[in-house]
Amino acid sequence: MKPLHNRFRLVTLLLIGLLLLAGLYGVYSVTVYGNRWISSSRNLRYREAKNEVIAGDIIDRNGVVLATTDEDGGRVYQEDQEAREAVVHVIGDRDGNVANGVDSFQAGYLLGFEATLPERILALLQGEQRRGDNVTLTVDSMLNTVIVRAFNTHVRTQEKSGAAVVLNYKTGELISLVSIPVFDPVNITDAVKEDTRHPFWNRAVQSTLPPGSTFKIITASSALENLEDIEEREFTCTGATEVMGTIIRDYGNAQHGKLKLPKAFRVSCNNTFAQLALMLGDTALRTTAESFGFNENFLFRDIVVENSVYPTENRTLVEIAWSGDGQSQIAATPLHMCMVAAAIANEGVMMEPRLLYRVESSGGLVRLRLTPREYRRAVSVDVAATIKSYMLDTVARGTATAAQVDGLSIAGKTGSAESSLDGRDVTHAWFVGFIDDSRYPYAVCVFVEEGSSGGGAAAPIAQAIFRYIQAYFPFQ
Amino acid sequence: MSRSSRFRRSLQSRPDRKLVSAIMLFFFSAFLLIAFKGELHWQGFTLAAVVPALIYIATMWLPRFFPADKLLLSVANFLCALGVLVLYSTDLVKGTNYGMQQAVYYGAGILVMLVCILLVRYIRYWRVFIYIIAVCALGLIALPLVFGTEVYGATNWIIVSGISLQPSEVVKLALLLVLSYYMSRRRFWPWLIFAVICMGVLMFQRDLGTALIYYATALFLYYASTGNLWITGAGILGGAASAVYGYYQFAHVKRRIAVWLNPWMDFENTGYQIAQMLMAIASGGLFGVGLGLGFPTIIPVYHTDAIFAVICEQFGIIFGVLILIMYAILILRGAFIARNARRSFHGLLAMGVTVMLALQTFVIIGGVLKLIPLTGVTMPFVSYGGTSLVSCMGLIGLLQGVASVNQDDLTYDYEVSHSRVDGESLPFASLDE
Repeated sequence: MKPLHNRFRLVTLLLIGLLLLAGLYGVYSVTVYGNRWISSSRNLRYREAKNEVIAGDIIDRNGVVLATTDEDGGRVYQEDQEAREAVVHVIGDRDGNVANGVDSFQAGYLLGFEATLPERILALLQGEQRRGDNVTLTVDSMLNTVIVRAFNTHVRTQEKSGAAVVLNYKTGELISLVSIPVFDPVNITDAVKEDTRHPFWNRAVQSTLPPGSTFKIITASSALENLEDIEEREFTCTGATEVMGTIIRDYGNAQHGKLKLPKAFRVSCNNTFAQLALMLGDTALRTTAESFGFNENFLFRDIVVENSVYPTENRTLVEIAWSGDGQSQIAATPLHMCMVAAAIANEGVMMEPRLLYRVESSGGLVRLRLTPREYRRAVSVDVAATIKSYMLDTVARGTATAAQVDGLSIAGKTGSAESSLDGRDVTHAWFVGFIDDSRYPYAVCVFVEEGSSGGGAAAPIAQAIFRYIQAYFPFQ
Repeated sequence: MSRSSRFRRSLQSRPDRKLVSAIMLFFFSAFLLIAFKGELHWQGFTLAAVVPALIYIATMWLPRFFPADKLLLSVANFLCALGVLVLYSTDLVKGTNYGMQQAVYYGAGILVMLVCILLVRYIRYWRVFIYIIAVCALGLIALPLVFGTEVYGATNWIIVSGISLQPSEVVKLALLLVLSYYMSRRRFWPWLIFAVICMGVLMFQRDLGTALIYYATALFLYYASTGNLWITGAGILGGAASAVYGYYQFAHVKRRIAVWLNPWMDFENTGYQIAQMLMAIASGGLFGVGLGLGFPTIIPVYHTDAIFAVICEQFGIIFGVLILIMYAILILRGAFIARNARRSFHGLLAMGVTVMLALQTFVIIGGVLKLIPLTGVTMPFVSYGGTSLVSCMGLIGLLQGVASVNQDDLTYDYEVSHSRVDGESLPFASLDE
């Protein structure tokens, strides 16, 4: 009977293991994906809960009430139309057109799903309608309005669209998150619904776009990490580099002549960076991009962000060369590019973006308080310092001079990304940068669709953001 | 401390009595809680009396007549009563009458369990009996082919004068008896022929979930009894091959796989159920929304396939994990009984029951949690359904039957070794027929 018993034991262990696996997987998926499932606009129980529970308020970091519930249980936003439009993509709207706004993504808190048993019993005994938790965001809603205004002032095209993100690079707090065009959540017209620019999209976190020259931050990091004495090496830019029969040109067909890496970064020389990408090879460049979070499944706790892509298939030499310039199917969201700049600012450490400052029950019990959390180390301290000096130089006398602000030391990188939209070839404008000042630890990303040049269209908006921060933000 | 005094003390404290009392109290108060919700519900009061009574009968009263594994009994009865409770809590929302019906099935289940215990305990010569069982089982499982009803893409139901019956659930008992009998006699061919016919009929009825469980149980049993890795490996490969074949052959299998990979893709139609289950589990969070609260009835077929999601919504995922631990206890007790069996038929039978219950639990709970594709099998003891509950209690009966025989053998050994008849000793009861 001995071998029989051994086999019985083996079979039993196997079965127990299966059940254990199911249990662990269940706990894992509820903790990681739970919010994403609850906040689905298709969640009927969420709609039914609205009838039983009074949804909590959403408040910005300065105490401005962005959304509250009236006596009939309807959702009420700010009085001022401009103000409520500016935060519409953060909060969401009544009909759930905006995916994963705070109103739906934090329904667990707002509709009191997280209430503890004693609280539920108390509410039952008092016979009152239960109130959900109040959620305080890290967002400064005034800055959102400023950004929307800056878009209206600086972008000349008729149909403006784009996105902007501001975050604190030391803590990961999202100070501002804007997607253009905005719309009025209480009055959704047919014009909004039929707009080809899709106003309901939250471009800051949902659109993955070619990052263009802003990706050179990553290419340069990779070069500094992998190639020896790369700063001393001299490149020649004739304005056109031929790779396997395809010609890589510079923006505006510029010719930069003989130059080294710092200057190439400052003037954003496509030829040099294409050569760098070829010298690095696909694997080294991809490894650096992945350490910055590309090809990563972003499962942030407070916000749903589309994953960024560094392509893994069909890697010809032409594609690799273009990768150095942030083209060739590379795609990232504005929020992620903001995190890239923030990682450089924060000595190579990327913080997890956070949106919840505090969650408080209606009875005043603090259920959650912001705790900054490191997301990953993107680059070494030395490389981050070097790239930071390049970026400071770029704003001081390179392509991003339009972002300068008196009295602040600003670092940045512009980008002009070529893409095709509805069959047309278009050029999107980017700016990523940060204030190199421990009193104002803020990183910024501005993206203007069809803005053509980053220095021309995106940098002035960033300048407006920096000026606002300088004028109104308290020293930290 | 001497051995006998320790024995006496454990008798005095009676841990089994405490456990069963706790379970009875839990269900008594739970049913009362629902009965007092809103207006008074007389059904709730009835169930608050009936369910604890059934638990008492099955776990404390019946074992007076023969030795039994009380921990195993308590766990199985807890799960049955939990099914009644959860179904009754949804009744108030939907206006259905599942809770009361399930309580009746639970009572019937206890009877069937008793029958199975007596069967295993008192039948010592199975040769003829196994023939009868095998023939009846084959006839029963083929019945839906003649006058079956299609439910959710599978033709595995028969409805006779208003009473619906799922033969494949009942045949489970027969399958385990027949397979373990032939394996213990080392008669491979009748074993294979019986298994293949059962599988074939199930495949033909497109009851793929049950077919999967039959197949995996047969394979596990084969491995446990022979230890032949080559043929077991070939069996796994064959199973995988037929799974691939099924994927390309049956449209509803293809759909289920696609829905498993991404339930949100086709939310309005095929992905609806699994997405709703996930949202239910998520809205329950760690500790649940509370008994009788939440909106579990939004989930399609919440009362059978998705009942684990309902439990998780009301009691929380931590309770869900505790349920899994209960099934694990069940498995461990089953394996313990199988190990202590003196006859290889009994050992294999106990192991087979354990394997079948464990696999069925994994297939349905893994499916609800989106770990594996969802197949329409019931959650043992808990899901709504008379045939399923009765057959699961039958399986527990088989296990208890083996346990009682084990205990008798031990007692016999004890008496023999203490009889001190000089010169001659009685044989030990380790006879393998």
